[in-house]
Order: sequence, then structure tokens, then C-alpha cells
Amino acid sequence: METIADYMHRFETRLSAYIPPRSSWTPADEALFGPSDLFRMPLDQAEALRFKAIKYAFDLHYTCNDTYRTFCTEAGIAPDDLKHPDDLDKIPLIPDRFFKEHPAGKDFAIWLGNIITGEMPRVVINGSNPSFDEVIKAFNQAGMVVAYSSGTSGRHTVIPRDQRTYNTSQFAAGKSVITMAYPEWDSDIYGYLLMPNPRKTNVFAGKVCGIYFDTIKEVRVAIDRDLPAEVVRLAMSGENSLRARAVRLFNKLNSLRMVDKIIRWLAHHHNAGNKIALVGAPFLVSAVIHKLREQGRSFDFSQRGALVTGGGWKAFEDQRIGTTEFRKQVQETLGIQENYCLDVYGMVEGNGWMVHCQEGHYLHAPYSYYKPMVLDEDNNPLGYGEWGRYAFLDAAATSYPGFIITGDMVRLLERCPVCDRPGPVLEPEVRRAAGEDTRGCAEEVRRVVSADLGG
Amino acid sequence: MAAISGRGEDLRGYATYATLMLKGALSLSKTLVTNAGDVVKLRQIRPAEQHYVRPAQRYELPVYEPGMQYCRSSERYLRPTRFCNPWEPEVIALANKLGGFRVSDYEFAQAAFEHAKEKMTLEICPLDSVGEALRRGTGTCFHLISVFIALCRAAGIKARYKMYAINMIQAWQAAVVDVDPLTKKWYDSLGYFVIEGEGEAYIDGRWVVAHVGPTKERQAAAGIPITRFGEDSLGIWFHARPGTIMRFESIPPGLGGGSRTLHRIAPGSMERINVSIQKQIQLGREIIAAAGGPEAYDRRVREAAGPSLPKVEMKARQEITFTE
Repeated sequence: METIADYMHRFETRLSAYIPPRSSWTPADEALFGPSDLFRMPLDQAEALRFKAIKYAFDLHYTCNDTYRTFCTEAGIAPDDLKHPDDLDKIPLIPDRFFKEHPAGKDFAIWLGNIITGEMPRVVINGSNPSFDEVIKAFNQAGMVVAYSSGTSGRHTVIPRDQRTYNTSQFAAGKSVITMAYPEWDSDIYGYLLMPNPRKTNVFAGKVCGIYFDTIKEVRVAIDRDLPAEVVRLAMSGENSLRARAVRLFNKLNSLRMVDKIIRWLAHHHNAGNKIALVGAPFLVSAVIHKLREQGRSFDFSQRGALVTGGGWKAFEDQRIGTTEFRKQVQETLGIQENYCLDVYGMVEGNGWMVHCQEGHYLHAPYSYYKPMVLDEDNNPLGYGEWGRYAFLDAAATSYPGFIITGDMVRLLERCPVCDRPGPVLEPEVRRAAGEDTRGCAEEVRRVVSADLGG
Repeated sequence: MAAISGRGEDLRGYATYATLMLKGALSLSKTLVTNAGDVVKLRQIRPAEQHYVRPAQRYELPVYEPGMQYCRSSERYLRPTRFCNPWEPEVIALANKLGGFRVSDYEFAQAAFEHAKEKMTLEICPLDSVGEALRRGTGTCFHLISVFIALCRAAGIKARYKMYAINMIQAWQAAVVDVDPLTKKWYDSLGYFVIEGEGEAYIDGRWVVAHVGPTKERQAAAGIPITRFGEDSLGIWFHARPGTIMRFESIPPGLGGGSRTLHRIAPGSMERINVSIQKQIQLGREIIAAAGGPEAYDRRVREAAGPSLPKVEMKARQEITFTE
């Protein structure tokens, strides 16, 4: 069998366009692009890489981002205070709600300009009162990749990535998934993206999947239409205005044929004996399973199918299913083996992607460039095994400070209780903290697609 | 240093305001027409429901004496505007009592903020003058903002209105929207609250925000920090609808008429909200007492809310160009 090193070399060769030239690698790049297996690095080696990478990133944001430097100054922390890996806990963390509190119009553009680290391209914005989409479009036309996610409050979390951070984020997602899918990936696979088309949306859930198109032979897209921010906001907010209802009706009508299309695509590749990989929101997979069960049908992709889900577990309106039950349903109806049914945990603010191991379905952190943390109610770090608020230090974010406190509640374990990988893991069930918006890219996609596809 | 002049800002604000008011009026009309039965039933307080009793004034209004110092300027942001006359005797007397012309601008604005926020009580009623509001001791958020602005202007500090359409945190919505079925239906039909506001005073070269709407008791009842002069409501219990933040020298036309119309159409709805506000104040009083006082309550809530957010200084970046 192919070794993991050869397998990953094949992947890196195919995706070489995402990797910056080695001569320009920063310590953060060394920590992400260097190791062939992100999840099996010896801990001491990974810790040394991670310390250098995060310290480098902190220094960068402290030096080149006035907003973050002022924040650090108020907290009394400067780069010289980071002398030892344990000192990383001193890095001032930004609550994720910061990225939601943006003004509108021209001020939105200025706000973006003031949270970006370092240089940015020349951005030209037309109109006296540009809309949210117009500002984002202007930044993205200039070469940035400003993407957002939306909670049930309808407010968008906006993150400005430069092209390098965006490529790194996509590569990290691809590398993490492909590593965990070892040895199943090859490029001769047909894919179905159960997310918005990355080329037609600025919703991060779709945007980060751009690499999927370069990883395998051919990809179909479930939500293959333009998705303006206002449509996402109306879908997420539950607003009851005439316009919101019209948008929801339009979404629902658009979605009615989506499940049938996916089933036809599955049937085609099942009969043709092709290998497939579905990537996206679990609720759409659930809708497919539900429809197939209604029709008394099933497929057998047992030796040639993989499913990668992301972003939350509300299968239908008011119905949350467990990951174990979901995998069972997938195996029964699509024939995809449970060990190739992997979930990914990540978020718009970060570039670290935690992926299920095949053996135990715990979420493994890419610990050479990304430090997961759990905080108590007073935002002090907790030890392993405790439930608390999830936070992280992300060395891969170069255009904005990736030192974030999230609204998720998790339990972090020192190592996986099932497999032999040495790094830290999260327990598979991630919850939203009390008082936080319901969020998650799957929820976003679910609401955009329709209120309910038949659960 | 922040720019003072804002005629262009006023014009843009009026366009936004007109759109919001139009949408608000259409949505209210639709709510009233489609819920005509409820309007008949709910427009007046029913016998079994609790009636609103205006609370006693929580301060002694000083007596105006001729010769008291005040700023009589016709300059923008200092002159009298709609429902906000800094030359009224009550305003001049109170401005003098609060230290006008004797303490620094910041100290005075802070004192005016404390008076409007903590000594006056929110009451939903038709918009009228600052003098009336001061004599009554109560008023809508726009009354209270006008009190703050009039006091500042009387003391020679430029002050203006900041307005926006909002979504609010659930605890706030429960107390001021959900308590009245008609108000809730109106709010739901729009998906937001049409107009909310706060004041801003120009001190030492920058505009400092003053949200005077809620007393500390109401904030405690909602579980939020007791906000101070310079702290915004936005991001704590309100969230501005994108693109709706407006800044005006004066309360724009239509707000006074609108408030009177609403009061005529559904006085019962206004009364229900006022009753709920009083309950909220009582609940907050108990919460603050249980926490060991306002400072202890505030400290605990702020600690639980986690670290503060980075402050974005809105500096222009030369890489960003705006073209009209």
C-alpha cells in the first residue's frame, strides 16, 4: 500500500498552486506546509514549530495592525513577553463578536481597512452609500477574499483574508481532510458539493470549498446560484416581512429539485461504478436519505464512496441528530462506510480544520500551526477534559489576527481515546454557548436552501 | 480630530429616515388592517389589566433665576431645534445646577448623561418639549436624549442625535415589545424596530456617545452592564440594521406626529409597555440589591461578558478610494 508520505506528496503535487514558494515560507508556512501528516507529528517537534509559528504571527499582527496593537497594549502584552510555549496563553484573544460589529456604507470599508494587518491592495468603491455586498465586491475585485458567515441574528461575521491566507486556509482544509481519508483519496473521483458555489458566493462555507474543485476530477454544485448577503441575512434572521417570506419561498422552490438532482447523480455514478465524494452540509445528506427511504431505494458505495460534512448537525427544522446516528443512516442508505464518513469542524474566523479520525470520530486538531484552547467563564484556560468555551490561536491568519474566542462549547482531550495519533482532540459534539447566535455553515446553508426539505 | 460639520450627513440621514418611516408606516398600517379585531380588543387596557401609574419624580428641579448663565448661540449643534430648546428656563436652571461653565466639558456632559439616564424614567408618551419632560421626570428615549442634548447645548457643548433602526437582545424585546401583542406583531412584520437613538456630545475634538434610554435597574433586569457616558448601546443590547445609522442636529420631522398618532391609535399598547417598564425597574432593583449594589452588579456582568473588544479607530487608508 502507498505510504502516507507518498500519498500526501501526490496531493501536494496536484495542489502545488496553493503552496507558496519555499523561499518565501514564514514560520507559519513551515508549520503547515512542512509536515506531511499534520496529525501524527511528534508532540515536541510540533510544539516547537507551533511556538515559532504563533509567535511570528503575533509579532506580525502586533507590528502591522494598529487596532490589534492597541488591544494588546491595553492588555499589557507585547511580542517580547512570549518566551516559552506556555506564554502563548498570554496572547490577547478577540471575541468572535468583534467581527460582527461592523458599520455600514463607506464606514464598513474603512472598518475593514482598519482590521486588516499590513498592506492591502488599492480598493475603489463606487457610490455614496455602498451596500455590504458592494464593499465586499470592491475588496475582492482588488484581490482580497473578504468572506462572511451569518448567525440567526442576521448579522454577518466578516473576515478579510488576503489571497495568501485564503489559499492557505483552503489548502489546510484540503490537507486535513485528505490526510484523515488516507488511503482513499485519488484524483479520479466525482464530487458533489452540498454548499454554495465558491465562485458565486462570499459565504465562507462555500468559499473555503474552492480547493475541492482542484482536488478531484469533477465537481457538481448543489447551490449553484448567486447568493447575495441580503438573501443570506433574510434566510437566517427569520424575519417575517413580505420580502423575507418571498425570499424564503423562492429558496424553497429552488430547492425542491435539488434533492432529486443529487439522487439522479448518485444513481448515475452508482451504475457507472465510479468513486464519489460528497462534501457539505449534513442536512442535505439527510434530506437525500429521507427521500431515498421514502422511495424504498438505497445505493452501495461501500468501497468507493466518502462523505465529508461540516458545520453543524441540525438535520431538519427543530431536529438535531447525533453524528453516530447520522453515520449509521448514511451507511444503511448510501452504503458509505462509517470510517469514510468524516466531519470537519472549523469556522469563518479560523484556518485550522479539525477532522474526525476514521477510528473514533474524534475531532483532531492540526497542532503544528494551530493551538486549540478551552476557556472557563472568566476566560482563563482550562485543562484537558473540561467543558468550556472554545478559543484558538491560528498562525495561518496573516491578514487579520487569528487569536479568537468563539461562541462554541467544547471539551478538549489531550489525545484521542481511540486512535494512536498523538495530538489533542475535541469530543465530536460541539454546542453553541448560551446566549450566542445559532450559527454554523450547515445551518446557514440549510436556511438558505429552504426552511425544511421534508423532514 | 472628528469633523463637526455634517450637512451632507444630515441629508443622507434624512433619506434613510424617510425610507425607514415609510416602511414603518406601511408596516403599521398593514398590521392594523390585518389585525383589526385585535386592535379593537387591545387598543385600550382591559379592566383586568394593570394600569400604569407614573412614578414620582426622582429629582428636585431647580428654580430658574434671571441672569443664570447659558449659551445663546445660533451655531449648528448649539441652537434650539425641534423639541429641544436649550433656552427653556428648566434647562438653563438644571444646566447651572449640574456645573455648567464651572466644570470641564467632559464632566458636565457626564453629569447631564447621569441626570437623563439615571434620574429620569422611560415612559412611552407623545413627544413634547424638554421642559415638559423635565417637569414630568419621564419621557420616551427621544425625550431623554433631548434632555441630554439641551443640557449640553445650554452649557455651550455641541450635541446631536444619532439614530438607527435596530434589532434588540431577547431580554430587551421581551420587556418592551413582546408585552403588547400589537407592538409584537408590528415588530415581527418589519423584523426590526423602526427608530432608536442616542445623543452625542462634541468634547475635546471628538463626538462622545451618550445612551440615556435605560436606567441601571432596567439594564440589570436585562442582565447587561450598566453603561457609562461614552459607551454605545450598539453591540450590547441593540444591533443597528446595516445602513441605518443617521446623525442629525434635530429630531427629524414626523417623529412627533408619529408618536401622537400611535398614542391615539393604541393607547392601551403604550400603557402595557409602560407597565412592563415599571416591572422591569422593580426587578432590576432586586437584582442590583442581590448583587451587592450597582458597582458589584456591573463588575460581575462585565467579567462574565468576557474580554472587551478591540476598538477600531476609523482612520482613512490611502489604499481605499471612494468615487461618487
